[in-house]
Amino acid sequence: MNLAAGFTFICPFKTNSGNRALEHLPVELSDLNAFKPMIITSASLTGKKAIRTLIQAFGDSGMTLGLFDEVTDKADLSVVDQIKELYVHGKYDSIIALGAGLVADTAKLVNLAVSTKIADARKLSAEADIRGPLSPLVVVPTAGATGMETSKYAVLNRRTFVSVSLMPNLVILDPRLTKTCDPKITVESGMAAFGRTLEAYISSDKNPFMDAYAFTALRFIRENLAVAVNKRCNKQASLAVANAAAMSGCVLSNTGQNVLHRLGQIFQNIVHVHPGVMIGMCLNPFLDDCMKKDSSLVSSLLQPLAGDDKSAAMPEAGKAGEAFREIYGFSYEIYGALKGRMPRTISEAGISQFLMNDILEIINKEPDGAYLRTLVERVCGSSVRA
Amino acid sequence: MQEVHAGGKLFKKIYVSIFLWFTGRAIQAAAKTDQEIKKEFDALPEEYTFALGCLPNGPWMVVGKEKGRVKYFGGDLNVRPVQLRLVIKSIDAAFLILSFQESTTLATGRNRLMTDGEIPYALSIIRVLDMVEVYLLPKIIASLAVKRYPLWWSFGRKYGGRVGVYTRTVLGIFGIK
Repeated sequence: MNLAAGFTFICPFKTNSGNRALEHLPVELSDLNAFKPMIITSASLTGKKAIRTLIQAFGDSGMTLGLFDEVTDKADLSVVDQIKELYVHGKYDSIIALGAGLVADTAKLVNLAVSTKIADARKLSAEADIRGPLSPLVVVPTAGATGMETSKYAVLNRRTFVSVSLMPNLVILDPRLTKTCDPKITVESGMAAFGRTLEAYISSDKNPFMDAYAFTALRFIRENLAVAVNKRCNKQASLAVANAAAMSGCVLSNTGQNVLHRLGQIFQNIVHVHPGVMIGMCLNPFLDDCMKKDSSLVSSLLQPLAGDDKSAAMPEAGKAGEAFREIYGFSYEIYGALKGRMPRTISEAGISQFLMNDILEIINKEPDGAYLRTLVERVCGSSVRA
Repeated sequence: MQEVHAGGKLFKKIYVSIFLWFTGRAIQAAAKTDQEIKKEFDALPEEYTFALGCLPNGPWMVVGKEKGRVKYFGGDLNVRPVQLRLVIKSIDAAFLILSFQESTTLATGRNRLMTDGEIPYALSIIRVLDMVEVYLLPKIIASLAVKRYPLWWSFGRKYGGRVGVYTRTVLGIFGIK
């Protein structure tokens, strides 16, 4: 790390995590000068129980809440415009996004539309410059969070809006909402966060703040993901994974869109596969390439993944190999515990050749498309070709 | 799209109200029974008043010094100027703390408590609250509520004080030294 070169780091949101963290919401909202929030969620994707838990957290606050629970996986800017009209008509002053991925992205764009007072939200442009503070936005991620909820990105209909202003003001992580009894959902979330933070951690342009966030997120996942998979419905382990996912969003907002993240995003946009699935597939071939390029960067992974003692005891020359073995063993444990439910190749994920061609078309347009293509080729499997 | 009005949490509110009412009276009683608590209050300025309660709508417990004596002033924050507010962020958090699922220390660590006032005086009050809890609760429960259970208290102080505090609190005998 060259500190003399200078660096910038931004993480504008406050995090409230832990048992009954949701109940802090009324006080936290009043700190943000917000007294009439609108909840944006999806009854089908998030579940009614989560919505009920959130509403109950406002008990005794005397607040009136707006509830829009009709976000679907086909949400687009016309849905954003519809919610914007309801927001303005109902005189709400803040937004609470309850859910993962698409719900948070929709909420971010509604926030953009109501804050910039655009007449027609369907005309929101991803190319336009987004500046200035927006209305208060609270994100309450549920199980299966992609980590993008806390990031500066909002992706809707394959259009990516980017601005630090889109990041939430407050993130609430409550074990009642992050807990899931389906280990695949936790693994998808954990792998997405793991890949993103790992890539940031070994990048040559990281700064001390990113380093701290990435280190913590990697260690959280290393220590808790296997527990969450093996001991189903474990509140503590799934909360740790959700924390890591939230941190990964912050890390991602301070790096460029790196290789693993971009691949995950492309596959999510085209075939609606959770980015964690693709990131998990590409992790080992990607690390292989990193080892060949500069093994000293990979060696730094040993400390967050294997622990301080093991890292200190290992001679410098052996650290990279040991870190690689650690990651290999970690993914083997996770995938083994899921007993084939988590695809290891693109053909196992059931992606047809027809969709694959669409994906490759997009990959080829990327500046480092040739490299991305080689990564995809190595995880294709037998029935699909890149 | 629908508008939802946040409901109430009647059971928790009643529990917290009763607990604060009883504790307020117990502080007044303990200030007469226990020398250490009396010393803590003596160190506070004259007319000093503190409140313990939860946001956004209470309940509250207001205790202060009046003419050199410690007095419980009920649950109304406007009854007199309050110099120190120990605020629990929500009724749920208050219930967790006051039903001994979380100690005061743990709740502070979990960001459930806020202090509005001078920290040294707040620490005095926390020490007083801890001692009152030791008097009011059996050891097994009080250990959950306080940071360190005072094993060094003599038998006479603990049980004699407990009888004194309970008698004064329940019967409302606050005037007899």
